[in-house]
This record gives sequence, structure tokens and C-alpha cells, in this order.
Amino acid sequence: MARVKYEDMIPFADEILERHKLFEGIELEPLETYLGMDTKPAWDYKTPMASGFYKPYLIKGSDRIEKIVIGELHYMRRAKYCILSMTASDDYDLPVFACEFDESAPRLSITIDLMPMVDIAVHPQYREKYLDPLSDVWRKYRTIPGFTKEGRCLIQRRYASWPWARATLSPYPLDGKIEEPGDRYRTIEAIIEYARFWLDLLKKAEPVKDPDYKQEMLTRKRAMQKYYRDLDPGGEVIKKLFGEEKHKLFISLVF
Amino acid sequence: MGENIRWTPYLEKMMEQVNQLSITEIKELGGKDITPLSSFTSSGANGSCRAFKTEKAEKIGIGSFIVNGKLQCGLCTIFPAKGYDLPAFLSRWEEREKEIAFLVDFVPTVDFLVDEEYRVKYLESMDAIWQRYESLAGICPEENDSVRAVCSIIYTAARVPVEKEGMRVAALAPHTEYLKNYVGFIKSASPITSDTKQREVSRKVKAVRGVFSSYFRECAGKIIGSDTAELLSTIFF
Repeated sequence: MARVKYEDMIPFADEILERHKLFEGIELEPLETYLGMDTKPAWDYKTPMASGFYKPYLIKGSDRIEKIVIGELHYMRRAKYCILSMTASDDYDLPVFACEFDESAPRLSITIDLMPMVDIAVHPQYREKYLDPLSDVWRKYRTIPGFTKEGRCLIQRRYASWPWARATLSPYPLDGKIEEPGDRYRTIEAIIEYARFWLDLLKKAEPVKDPDYKQEMLTRKRAMQKYYRDLDPGGEVIKKLFGEEKHKLFISLVF
Repeated sequence: MGENIRWTPYLEKMMEQVNQLSITEIKELGGKDITPLSSFTSSGANGSCRAFKTEKAEKIGIGSFIVNGKLQCGLCTIFPAKGYDLPAFLSRWEEREKEIAFLVDFVPTVDFLVDEEYRVKYLESMDAIWQRYESLAGICPEENDSVRAVCSIIYTAARVPVEKEGMRVAALAPHTEYLKNYVGFIKSASPITSDTKQREVSRKVKAVRGVFSSYFRECAGKIIGSDTAELLSTIFF
């Protein structure tokens, strides 16, 4: 098993923004206030134990975005907890693009997914429109060593201890623990493919018109955000590092 | 070669669990006599499929058949009776000489992200069992996208390589254990008291049935012919 030094860990935001230019052609503008909170304390922070940023954005001139957030939390030069999340505004039923990317010396723990905003068992057309096009991409990347190990594909099992989190996943999550450096880098390609697909969906998105469907969608969206904000184990670490107020801001931006 | 396979006693072991309930056999479904399916031969396949009911389960479909001596298919489904929010039970078994592919699940009948009480009661209570089977050889996600989309957070699916005979028994264990727990849920189930919840359950059960029956007809039709597959689908879904 390869151990990766802090200096050699993947520069997550640079990979997404600079090398792969995920948002090229899209004019991002800072989201300065979220849920009534000034977001600027999250843009760049530093304590004796941790440093990093959560940068929230909107897309200039678009009413389709609630937030796009990219963040890195560097912990004692030992580990990096990175995120990329993209959430559509309440008038749109797009899935939430969610990526957790937690790298430490022995492994990368990762989840990439488009989390559905409605119950896809009763809304199969949602799955066909927003999720099924990922089928081939999912099959391509789920063979990365770590997602698949010793002939066992362990997708949908990273959140074993958090059933509420498993309940938020689509049928196409990429989640697991990756060890080898080359394999860790391959996950960046998967993130980019999932994210580009989501941004393409955003371009074509139409506002939800059916009030009952919208209510169902918003109930699920609020439940999902509440679970992650209240129960995510990373939230407790953030609370200890930064205190209650910043915890609320950071965790609200992340999810 | 295939004729010498010692097939896993899927039907017998699953029936042992089903027999823990007070069941009544269903002889007719959709105006059709289904009793000939309790011992049938079709397109090189022969086997037995039957349907039962209980007060709290509208239909229990259970059966297995062997195709050309090379494949044993087993299936057990249970759908809740109207007025109960029980998940649907699904066990699918495809056994060959060198591999057993399977899926077993408690398929949710509500939005289990939103309905926390339901998730805790029927799904999270199975977490320890679900995690135990993570070590099973060949564990993997359910391959069919439509089926996987209606599965719960505790489904177990695998393509178990049969490298020694003990693997067959190991592969059957999740089915009997899930079913044993499901039978326990049936026994203790209480009626739904909310009309809103009943509507939600009815809508979802209908959707789940639709997914499974079209998947079954497509897969089984290729193996045993579309007419028999159609009739069997009335037993199971």
C-alpha cells in the first residue's frame, strides 16, 4: 500500500479549476450571502490546526443556481478534506452534484454522485432524464481499484455507518476508498465527467411547473440538506476546529 | 457436465421460512388458473412456482425452475396487503455450475429518505446483516439500472464464483436470513393509520411492481418463452 506525503496530495481545486477548467465559458460570481450568513469568513481561513477555503459562487445572470461551492480543508499538513458541490435553485429539480474528496496518507475516501431530488422509484422519468445517461461512465470508473477490490465491487458501501447518507445516493454513485496514487488521480477524471454532465443538464433545465411535484421535491431537498448539516461526521470536526458559528456557515455551504 | 450439478435447495429453504406464516395458497390470478405452474415444463425448463397470501401479505410468489440442466432460477417476492406499509421482499437467484448471481432486498414502499421512522424500522435494523455480507465473494452492485433504482440501502447483490461446493450454501444464506427477518416484520406489522401514507404506499408498490414485472418478463421470456414468463409474472408481481 502506497502512502502519499502531504506535499504530494492532489491539489483538488487546482485540478478542477485550472487543469481541467471545469467552469471555462461560465462566468462565476461570488455568493456573498447564504441563508442570511455573510460567507466571506469561509473564503479563506486559518487556525493553528487547519487552513483552507470554501468558495461559494453563483453563475452571473442565471436564476438556476442556489450555489456552487469548491473547498479544501487542510488539517495539520496530514490530510485534505475537499468538496465540490453544485445545487440548483428551488425552481429546478436537478439532482445535487456532490463530491467529497478526503485524502490522507494511506487513502483517498471519495464520493461522487448526482443525488436525486425526488423518489426515482415513483418518478422513473426523472431517472431516465437526469441519471441514466451516467450509466456508461459509472461502469467505466467503478472498476478503479478500491471501488473494486479482490473481485468485489464495493460501490454503495462507503457510507456503511451512515444509512441516512446512503439514502441520499442515486443508483450511480462512485464511492469508496482508493489507495494507489495513480488510481487517486483517475477519480479526478470521474469528477470532471460527472460535473460536466451536471453543467450540461443545467443549461437545458426548465423550471418545475407542477406545484405538487415541486412540493415533493422541496420536501426531499430540505430533508437531504438537514441530514448532512446536522449529522455529517465531518461537521463535528469543523465545530471543534472553528466553533459553532463558523461550523454553521461552513456546513451550510458544503451541503 | 451441467447435469451433475448439485443444485442448491433454494425453494425448500425459502419455503421453510414462508411456512412460518399462516399462508393460504392462491389458485387463480387475473382469471387464470395457476395451479399447473406448481409443476411445469416449458422450453427446456421445468420447475414449480406457487402463490400464497396471508392477512398482511397480498401475495407471496415463490418458485424455482431448472433450464436445460444448466441453470437454476429461483424467485421469491412478497408484496404487502393493502393497509400495511411493509417493504416488498425480493429474492432473485440464478445458479450455474461456476457462478451464482443473486439479489435480495427489502424494497421500500415509501420515500425512505424523507420517512425516517420507516427507514429506521425496516432498513437500518438490517444494517448489521447487510454489512456482514460485504465479505461475501463476488459482492457487487445490482447490474440492472432500473432494478437497482428501486432497491433499498440494504440490498445485497453478488456474482459468487463457485470455487467449492460450500459457496452455494454461503450464497443462499443472505436470502434465508433476509426472509427470516421479513417474516418477523410481517408478523408484527400494524395497519397504516394515515390516508396520505396509504396513498404513498399504493403509488410506490404499483411503481415497484411495474419495474420488476417488466424486467422479469424480459429476462425470463428469453429463457422459458414469453407465454410462460407472462403467466409466472402474475404469480410473482
